[in-house]
Amino acid sequence: MPIERSSSRAAVWAILRKECRSEWRTRYGLNAALLFALTSLTAVSFAVGRLTDRPDILAALLWVVLLFAALASLSHAFVREVEGRTLTLLRLVAAPTAIAFGKLLFNLLFLITIELVTVPLFLVLMGAPPPRWPAFVAVLATGSVALAAAATVVGAIISQTRGRGALFAGAAFPILLPVLAAAVSGTRAQWSGGAVDGELRLLSAYAVALLAISLLLYDHLWED
Amino acid sequence: MIWRGLLLVWIAGWIAAAFLWAPLVPVLGETTRVLYFHIPAAWVTVLALAWSMLHSALYLAKRDLRHDDHAAAAAELGLLFCVVATASGSLWAKAMWGSYWNWDPRETSIFFLLLIYAAYLALRSSIDQEERRARLAAVYSVVAFVAVPFLIFVVPRIYFTLHPDPLINPRGRVDMDPRIRVVFFALLAGFTGLFYWVLGLRVRVARLERRLQSDLEAT
Repeated sequence: MPIERSSSRAAVWAILRKECRSEWRTRYGLNAALLFALTSLTAVSFAVGRLTDRPDILAALLWVVLLFAALASLSHAFVREVEGRTLTLLRLVAAPTAIAFGKLLFNLLFLITIELVTVPLFLVLMGAPPPRWPAFVAVLATGSVALAAAATVVGAIISQTRGRGALFAGAAFPILLPVLAAAVSGTRAQWSGGAVDGELRLLSAYAVALLAISLLLYDHLWED
Repeated sequence: MIWRGLLLVWIAGWIAAAFLWAPLVPVLGETTRVLYFHIPAAWVTVLALAWSMLHSALYLAKRDLRHDDHAAAAAELGLLFCVVATASGSLWAKAMWGSYWNWDPRETSIFFLLLIYAAYLALRSSIDQEERRARLAAVYSVVAFVAVPFLIFVVPRIYFTLHPDPLINPRGRVDMDPRIRVVFFALLAGFTGLFYWVLGLRVRVARLERRLQSDLEAT
């Protein structure tokens, strides 16, 4: 049992700082994720060439690349603690919800870093700048929050199993399917000039629902 | 057990009635009869998921392994019925729409249920320790429960679907010939009975296995 069960802002902030620092010391997680994202982006771009006039395919490809990058890297935050045998110590000093929130913010930051490299490169390689930047960025941002929320809670579950990384993609995908559907549809609508309000509402409602339920569940995640 | 025999006669009798007694719907023709198998299977799929998730939540609240037995058994059966519903729906889609699979929103949502069941069971199989398996599987199940309404109800409303109105439709009524309706609801009850019967067996087996295990450890 943690001595001080505070999930205050300070604890969350401390966890986030600790995550960033330990990631920055080795950077192997970030490097691997960036390399993986670039690999899948290159594979996609090389295979299809330039697709200036096919927004339907562009939106799907963009989110497939982002989804692969997320599935390849976001379980890292919890798996690292288990493999380094530091999870017990972490649980002694912080409340489960603080750990969860800290890891979630770190995953979000991680995802944004990957997107900052991947998305501009994708747009350049495909030769299709989005016609409406605010709509494009809004779908990308809400999609990323939902993606990070789902990946964090599934990563926390997966890190305690035998399969770990191998199981992460399989277990996270069903939870991510609504995100993928809504994000692809929103990005496509943005390219073809339609409204994106419905998709934005769906994505943010889903992100909020996932966040709420995972905060309720984190107390049950670590007990032994 | 008398119930088992009654269930057999009930289901067999109504299947015979589905072929011999109930009329065909004009447009659907011979494919009408898929409705007696496809919809009850889809119904049991959703029922099993709800049952599994309910017992997962109950497990987290009460920490009684009997709830975990129910959750696991319902998921196993749900996967089976989900495969039946998906396969029968796909065959019907080939006959009516001309392709086995077209990512119609309804096809997406049944496929999603298939993935949830598969991931849940894969997760269970990767954890050795009983209490931890029950706890983590229950947590996953509750998280997945959040995704279910989004894919089953929200996504098909946003995107256009060709699928006939499901049983729980916005208008809240069932448009059917009286004879079709009788056979349909009888088989719906039959499939539900079948599910609960096998579920009971599966839960009993799990309980006996646990008792055997603890007896072995005691000696």
